[in-house]
Amino acid sequence: MISMGKIRKNVNLWSILSTLIILVIIITNLNIIQNLFNKPNDNWTHIREYLLKDYLINTGLLILFTGVISLIIGTSLGWIITVFEFPLRRIFKWALVLPMAIPPYIGAYTYSGILDYTGIIQIFLRERLGLTINQGYFDIMNIPGAVFIFSILLYPYIYLITKSFLEKQSSSLIENGRVLGNNPFQIFIKILLPISRPAIIGGVSLVVLEVLNDYGVVKYFGIPVFSTAIFKSWFSFGDIDSAIRLSSVLLTIVFFVLILEKILRGRKKYSFSNSKIRPIKRYKIKGISKWIVFLYSLLILSLGFIIPTLQLIRWSIMSFTSVLDYEFIRLIINSISVATITTLLIIIIAIVISNFNRIESGLISKIYSKITSIGYSIPGVVIAMAVILLLVKVDNSLYGVYKIFNSNTPKLVMSTSVFMLIFAYIIRFLAIGFNPIESGFDKIGKQFFEASRTLGKNVTTTFLKVDLIMLKPAIITGFILVFVDILKELPLTLILRPFNFNTLATKSFEYANDEMVQEAAISSMLIIIISAIAIYALFSLENKEVK
Amino acid sequence: MKKLALIFISIILIASIAVGCTNEEGNSELDTPQGNKEVVNVYTDRHYDTDEELYKTFTEETGIKVNIVKADSDELIERLSREGESTEADVLITADAGRLDRAKQKELLQSVESETLSKNVPDNLKDVDSTWYGLTVRGRVIVYSKDRVNPDELSTYQDLTSEKWNGKVLVRSSSNIYNQSLLSSFIELYGEEEAEKWAKGIVNNMARNPQGNDRDQAKAVVAGEGDLAIMNTYYMGKMLNSSDPQEVEVANEVGVFFPNQNTDGTHINVSGAGVTKNAKNPEQGIKLIEFLSSEKAQEQFAEANYEYPVNDNVNPSELLQSWGDFNTQDINLSTLGEHNTDAVKIFDRVGWK
Repeated sequence: MISMGKIRKNVNLWSILSTLIILVIIITNLNIIQNLFNKPNDNWTHIREYLLKDYLINTGLLILFTGVISLIIGTSLGWIITVFEFPLRRIFKWALVLPMAIPPYIGAYTYSGILDYTGIIQIFLRERLGLTINQGYFDIMNIPGAVFIFSILLYPYIYLITKSFLEKQSSSLIENGRVLGNNPFQIFIKILLPISRPAIIGGVSLVVLEVLNDYGVVKYFGIPVFSTAIFKSWFSFGDIDSAIRLSSVLLTIVFFVLILEKILRGRKKYSFSNSKIRPIKRYKIKGISKWIVFLYSLLILSLGFIIPTLQLIRWSIMSFTSVLDYEFIRLIINSISVATITTLLIIIIAIVISNFNRIESGLISKIYSKITSIGYSIPGVVIAMAVILLLVKVDNSLYGVYKIFNSNTPKLVMSTSVFMLIFAYIIRFLAIGFNPIESGFDKIGKQFFEASRTLGKNVTTTFLKVDLIMLKPAIITGFILVFVDILKELPLTLILRPFNFNTLATKSFEYANDEMVQEAAISSMLIIIISAIAIYALFSLENKEVK
Repeated sequence: MKKLALIFISIILIASIAVGCTNEEGNSELDTPQGNKEVVNVYTDRHYDTDEELYKTFTEETGIKVNIVKADSDELIERLSREGESTEADVLITADAGRLDRAKQKELLQSVESETLSKNVPDNLKDVDSTWYGLTVRGRVIVYSKDRVNPDELSTYQDLTSEKWNGKVLVRSSSNIYNQSLLSSFIELYGEEEAEKWAKGIVNNMARNPQGNDRDQAKAVVAGEGDLAIMNTYYMGKMLNSSDPQEVEVANEVGVFFPNQNTDGTHINVSGAGVTKNAKNPEQGIKLIEFLSSEKAQEQFAEANYEYPVNDNVNPSELLQSWGDFNTQDINLSTLGEHNTDAVKIFDRVGWK
């Protein structure tokens, strides 16, 4: 039982704000949850009989392999970049984030464009070497192909989070490990992996959710997965109940996994409490191992970024005369400003809730932190519909208020403006911003907070003077993840945009959807360039602090 | 480094302010539909650049401004139904008759009586209750390898299930609406049982698991993975005019065959438009659809996507003429929507991925 006294003690700005935000998220998703209790119908029987088993297996395979492979790539790169000194390390450090700027469906088009009959490789083999080619060797449109596309484009989620975590790790841990005679690899396995587990798990769960939500890659490759079943029941059967039932099966699985992880982690809090955050002294490796590390980084960067980008540039050159015009300036402005505004809001909200969670280590905070990821676990289209329903209701009830300001006002004000889009982005991407910031707080732990409180500062002052400064790397990580994700976001932007509002992502989709990949290349390139500038700029901010 | 970050941040800030201003502009136009300026608000799933130019011409001629939201038809229909009475959308345009019929079934469209439209759009290409009108036509045809297949061997869609094409047929996945509409037309013409038999036959004859889009099927024919592909006419047009010379080459190596010419005709589908039930500017909406069906607009509207115009007074483009005339299925296109769910279930049962 919670006594009144405890509640009163815990009511402050942070708890009120957090509760408000959580309530908004719950209300938005209420009509999704509501439909869960409707009785199953014929369509559900059909789905269960013909689809569910295969679709679950495909989805399971995709998640498992993408999860494991991107985990290996992401953590190994995070470790290499943090503890070793090797050629071009400073460039790799931020360039290795770039693959996440390529929307996976564009990556899928690009790779199949490189490998298919009219692709550059087959043309070379056919026309220069005169070989007849077994198409099977170049077929990427299958489950292993999809795993490749996802892993190589999504590992940066894990890399970024792991790296920013390790970088700020007390270097004394590593030094102690060294003194005790461990080699770098042993230190990685015995010390760094366990200590960065929350960060890694956070990153992996982002990747898994991203894969669960993808529709573009699997549709193009012809792999039926869970989200196919959701779309099928919704659009082909016109059966929202079954679609939502499927979404909630998905949601339950995701929740179960996340909570299980939290339980397993249990009381093992590895937060360090060293007031001196010193940069890690990197190993200067020599000889062959230096080049192995270098080539490994180069390989991943090539597969995830350089090769697809070269193909996109090649296509851009083919098509720019027919596509490029002044409208692109407007597209760039729209994309950047919406992404920036939303990202800032998400970061603020994520900080509020995770700070509240840290102070309040009870059941409520655990529930809150899970609720923030609801939006990321449900397919974007389902979220979009929930948001429309909510905002149309709000608009209708505020009609009287609108009339005071403008007698001619239409009923729908919020739901025909960019507000709806931003609102939906926040619901959807909160998890992305929340994850790194929560693990940032996890790492800082409570000691500094408690010390400051003991010295008579209140929660807010403590936050501004102590936590925010220590949290900076986590904030930068969160900012990059959310910003790039919104730049390339599709279903929400397509459905919820106001009249005449286009972004780079929608433009690129419009061409790709008409099977005009060459024309889609320019907008995709612009998304990549903007992301690259943002990533570079944010990394410079971070570096400044390390010096 | 620091400088760069600063520059970046200031660009973002300026951009945010800029977009803030432009959005207010946009909204104020929407805010006063009864003002001096007439508008028509359109939800469309056609994404062609030439469409935009046609809307501009329309605005120049009539003074009516066209506002656009572009997205997939399914989602647009869902958005429309959720916005209900208060929706701002006046016109719905989709590239599939089945989807238009679904919008009608959900009571999202209203009947429109217009002499111009009855004159411009043939009866079989519009809704029986006049809630929507077809604007462009495409066929779903057989594309064959000029090297390995003699077009005399080809006859019907049904023939694709025969023994001789075993392991030779290429087609994309059943989640694609064009395949669903094709099967729906068979359900309408031959009944569910025959349609299922056909789908099963195709699955047996597939050269590989369904993957990729329509263009990829043509490429696979040329690459020798199979001999025949089922695809839409306009993708052939697009490949022949691709900005990638390699794709043009592929398109030149395959031929277009219109199946079922001596029986029930080739399967066709339309892009079409309807006025929404709760339109705030229905008259402007009708004007827009009339304009799009006019001789002046039809040529451009159809050619944008290498499709056939619905207006009989307008000739198809030269490329389409070069493929020759063809007989089309004689069914009301609304039925494509009616049978859609059954079609999808058949695909699942026969294992057409």
